[in-house]
Amino acid sequence: MKTSIAALFAVALAVTGCHDTMNSVENAQKTGQRNMVSDQRVVSDTGLNRKVGVIGVNTAMTPGGFLRVQVELLNRTSSLQNYNYHFEWFDQNGMQVGGSSTAVISDSIDPKEDKYISAIAPTEAAKDFRLKLILGQ
Amino acid sequence: MKNKIIIPLMAASAVFVTGCGTNAHYVQTGGTQNVVSIGQINIQDYIQAASAMTGDLLASGALDRVKTPPAVLAISRIVNNTGQQIDTDLLVKKIRVALLQSGKAVTTTTFGLGGQAEDPLASGLQQKNDFMNDKNTTGRVDFSLSGKIIQLNARAGNTSQATYSFQLSLTDNQGLAVWEGEKEITKQGTQSAVGF
Repeated sequence: MKTSIAALFAVALAVTGCHDTMNSVENAQKTGQRNMVSDQRVVSDTGLNRKVGVIGVNTAMTPGGFLRVQVELLNRTSSLQNYNYHFEWFDQNGMQVGGSSTAVISDSIDPKEDKYISAIAPTEAAKDFRLKLILGQ
Repeated sequence: MKNKIIIPLMAASAVFVTGCGTNAHYVQTGGTQNVVSIGQINIQDYIQAASAMTGDLLASGALDRVKTPPAVLAISRIVNNTGQQIDTDLLVKKIRVALLQSGKAVTTTTFGLGGQAEDPLASGLQQKNDFMNDKNTTGRVDFSLSGKIIQLNARAGNTSQATYSFQLSLTDNQGLAVWEGEKEITKQGTQSAVGF
């Protein structure tokens, strides 16, 4: 009796939780140090924020003097999430630069996956950035 | 009097009938409202590929390794290995614009594949200028940009998938590929749709 209940429970779990989540492994003692930046967030889609959250933002400069931004995302759900993102760049006066060269990129993130998205500024004049995240279909 | 009422009514009906079916509107090029087709490279694919490869090229620092910056770039052959007729300038022009705006490279329009100048008038002016000043400026090209666009189709039941591989090589004037970039875009579905 106990066995059949346990078996039923296992089958029910397997059926309802059919999306595979992400396992990962990484070195604990990190060689590289991330230059984390404090961010300012505007959340209008709380649903997206609950599903795919921004964990952290770090920046670096390329050898050519371009700003490189890396954003860490986490899928908090147990299902695959599609999203679109778009980086905007601003010069030291706050004026947007490279408008036409920055694309809206469609991407997906596996259940419970921790993922990085990155972009490189289109010109050396770009000093600030903004990331726009939109839930995909 | 009757005509005065009937004619405007008829005109209004005609406008209503003809204007009813049209819902044409502007959308942002490359934005989330663009049509996504599986068997075709869409404008957002070109924008995404050009943006990714330009960023990669700029980050590599390959363009900085010239004696007198900015680097001078000549456009070589971009092979279309897809099943569709495409204008490769949809990719290359975006890269050229972005590189010019970055200040790291300029593209020559007077020197091209097979001796064909993209801008014959500019080529003539350059030759005339060289003759008048007794110098030769036509030879300065630091890099050439070549590439290929490949399409790979797959199908499982009703689901179709197409992968478009955008490949570019930057070759210096010693014949060495100093930077190579590849961006793959895969689209899957049963039919084309609007939005990402």
